[in-house]
Amino acid sequence: MIAFLAKRLGITIVLLFTLSAIIFFLESIAPGDPVKAYLGANASRVDVLAERHRLGLDEPTIVQFGRFLAGLAHGDLGVSFRTHRAVTADFAVYLPATIELVVFAFVFAILLAGGFAFSAALRLPGSSVYRGILLVGSTAPPFLLAIFGIVLFYQQLDWLPASGRGPDDAGPTGFLVIDTLAHADLPGLASTFQHLLLPGLVLAIAPAIGIGRILRSSLESTLSADYVRTARSKGLSGGRVLVSHVLRNSIGPAISMSGLQLGFMFAGVVVVEQVFSWPGIGNYLANSIPVSDFPAIAAVTLVLGAIYIATNAVVDLLQAAADPRLVT
Amino acid sequence: MTRTTRPASPVTASPATASVRGLTVSLTRGGVTSEVLRGVDLEIAPAEIVGLVGESGSGKSVLALTLLGLLPESSAPRLSGSATVAGVDMIGGSAAELRRVRTTELGAIFQDPMTSLNPTMRIGAQITESTHSAAESVRLLSLVGIHDAAERMRAYPHELSGGLRQRVMAAIAVSGTPSLIIADEPTTALDVTVQAQVLDLLRELRDRMGCSVLIITHDLGVAGQVADRIAVMYAGRIVELGTADEVLRRPANPYTVGLLGARLSLGMHRGGLLTTLAPETASVEERLRGCAYHSRCQLATTDCATETPSLDPLESGPDGHLSACWRSPAKVGSLAASLPARAGVELPDLTSLVPIPAVKGPAVEVVDLTCVFRGKRARGRATAIHAVQGISLRVEHGEALSIVGESGSGKSTLLRVIAGLTPATSGTVAVGPDRPQMVFQDAGSSLTPWLTVGEILRERLLPLRIPRAEASRRVESILESMGLSASIAVVRPAELSGGQRQRVVLARATIIPPSVLLCDEPTSALDASLAASVLNLIRDLRERLGMTVLFVTHDLAVARLMGDRIAVMNRGRLVELGDADSIITRPQDPYTAALIAAVPELITDRRADS
Repeated sequence: MIAFLAKRLGITIVLLFTLSAIIFFLESIAPGDPVKAYLGANASRVDVLAERHRLGLDEPTIVQFGRFLAGLAHGDLGVSFRTHRAVTADFAVYLPATIELVVFAFVFAILLAGGFAFSAALRLPGSSVYRGILLVGSTAPPFLLAIFGIVLFYQQLDWLPASGRGPDDAGPTGFLVIDTLAHADLPGLASTFQHLLLPGLVLAIAPAIGIGRILRSSLESTLSADYVRTARSKGLSGGRVLVSHVLRNSIGPAISMSGLQLGFMFAGVVVVEQVFSWPGIGNYLANSIPVSDFPAIAAVTLVLGAIYIATNAVVDLLQAAADPRLVT
Repeated sequence: MTRTTRPASPVTASPATASVRGLTVSLTRGGVTSEVLRGVDLEIAPAEIVGLVGESGSGKSVLALTLLGLLPESSAPRLSGSATVAGVDMIGGSAAELRRVRTTELGAIFQDPMTSLNPTMRIGAQITESTHSAAESVRLLSLVGIHDAAERMRAYPHELSGGLRQRVMAAIAVSGTPSLIIADEPTTALDVTVQAQVLDLLRELRDRMGCSVLIITHDLGVAGQVADRIAVMYAGRIVELGTADEVLRRPANPYTVGLLGARLSLGMHRGGLLTTLAPETASVEERLRGCAYHSRCQLATTDCATETPSLDPLESGPDGHLSACWRSPAKVGSLAASLPARAGVELPDLTSLVPIPAVKGPAVEVVDLTCVFRGKRARGRATAIHAVQGISLRVEHGEALSIVGESGSGKSTLLRVIAGLTPATSGTVAVGPDRPQMVFQDAGSSLTPWLTVGEILRERLLPLRIPRAEASRRVESILESMGLSASIAVVRPAELSGGQRQRVVLARATIIPPSVLLCDEPTSALDASLAASVLNLIRDLRERLGMTVLFVTHDLAVARLMGDRIAVMNRGRLVELGDADSIITRPQDPYTAALIAAVPELITDRRADS
């Protein structure tokens, strides 16, 4: 297990290093001048040159890259050209909002997928209707789904809010679900969930069908496995057979798929945050790209990359835990 | 629904453990509904072992699943008649009632212990699910002969050998002291030495716990080793029933005689054709109108095609010996006496095939071959598995060599290295002059499912660059040589029977006759009669084409029939190599002797020896 973790960590470092090198290379050939964005369009040529020197942008790319790596080792991601604040300070504000949204959407996706897979594999009534709704939902692109959701649930029915996270964050974690609970602010908690519901559903529906399909097909093949027949021949109840014999043996492929989908969700969150004005890292990135706010772009890319790699490591661990044959 | 009240077992004082009366079962598979059981009567007395014998498709497993109340719902079973276990109706009973019977009265052992145990659950947990007490689970594991039972509780199924896994299945089956254990082909997936142990275990469990056992097998020899009574099934009906001794020594049904004749044994003649059952020629409707066996039966009269015989006691036999046949036991007896006689399969015409030109020197020469696999890392260490260790072999052109060993002996690896499918770690292999062709165990999975038989065969002809019409003609002719209809060329492998698939594999291997044919257990998944017909075909091909054959098998009887010489392998090493008959009659290595002793032989064979 330790060897496994060490190997994973090594791979992670190599991948992140490669990723940052690629970003640096792209930055060095990209058009647009971040200093102009930083000082405003009317800044004088002298000011621009002075500022460029101050930021170290007049040095060779390789030197800049070395300084960036050195800063990274100290947990310093630089200063955003756009917000004029440390990128880490911006992250403390925006990252929790994104993580909260994605985790909520992910749980949502798992529940939808589980419901779909079990109802289909056990041939429960209504499973085909449920499947149809999910399929239609997953074929629509997320922005369209988001707009449709806003028109229906906000404009027409006025059930759900269309933008933002709800209550102001009173700290300390930046996760509204945790913070409102910590302050025993139940109306705030309810409002938080209301705000999470629509963007969460939009983000969840495509991953739900992906995970659900995989889970259904492995459930169906496990249900006809010899050892399930053995379990039935012991006289176990249907529920017991399902939980202790069918589920664990079916979950492996669904775990891989979930990890993959979680990675995609962090990518897809950029669009959804734009539509719902969600004050998260996706919005932050979308605002940073047009002005070539390089430190911000690099930091977001690195953090998303790290999350993606960590997710995959967790998937491997979970699979090994579910199937002892993978360990020995 | 009609119920018959004929006594179907010897009269016993105590009530039967299980009783089946007029049982009819229809199953729907792939949209086609068929009657799989057609009026079965069977009683299993307390502490009795009944062997249920028949070829695949005879309905024996369906009978087992009916008694367990576990017929798959996906095949929409329709049942009539009755099947009771410990007095409980397993057809009409409520789900909760059936579950109670399965918990307290029934135990089940299935064919493949690897797939029948949950791979992600420790075996202790799997037994304790039934016993509800870890101490009881340990006791049962010891009872079924597992040493260090307490430590083994924490093992996963993949960490145990096949024999141990089947013992775990047996421990699960006996938990809750059932009154009936249903064992569906419990030894088919196991090595012969392990098979003998599992059969002994079943007998011992019966003796110690007083439970009844229904053992289902395709091998009359296996049934003869453990069963008190044998029921022979054909096409969904029991056609003969009697004590094991009676059925094996004085078979009263031509089908039983056919099965006995097709069985390969260590003592049979090596020359000539192996006896097979005649192929089925009647359509399904024709079969169901009369005796289902009539078109294959050497004794059939016109009556047999129109009237179904009932399972009745023999006129001049001991009590409890029943047979469903219009012909007299004396006639059937004379048929049995004429064994082994050929049962009427015309051998295919192989004249269209061109023999391989004779070449001097060895066809296969293996020198000091070693093959090592890297095992999966166990706690950080990579383990090396020595599948083949320092083997040297020389096979002359036109010779046939059988390679025998148990699973894990390295026999298949050796064959794969010779075929060039697995790289050797060290040593040399010379095969020649052309590339050898290989026939695999599972014909079903070695044929590409989305290609038609014709496409599969034509693919082999591609290097010859012959016109399409010429290729089709050769495909037709090779299919006919294999005893298959040329119309099969447009069919995909899934639509063929097991025997037909193995013939297609043989056709693929020999459409351009190779100088060396490698066979890896080509018949171990087939019924006795089909296996015999495939073996006949391979022997004939070899004789006519002058092919060199390397034949890998776990079955010594088959090895003796297929090889001029036999090589015995154990744990990657060659332990004995010599002339086929002398290996069987005078084994030099104790391992060979153990293998021979474990081969299940019929009572009648044993008699002939002593």
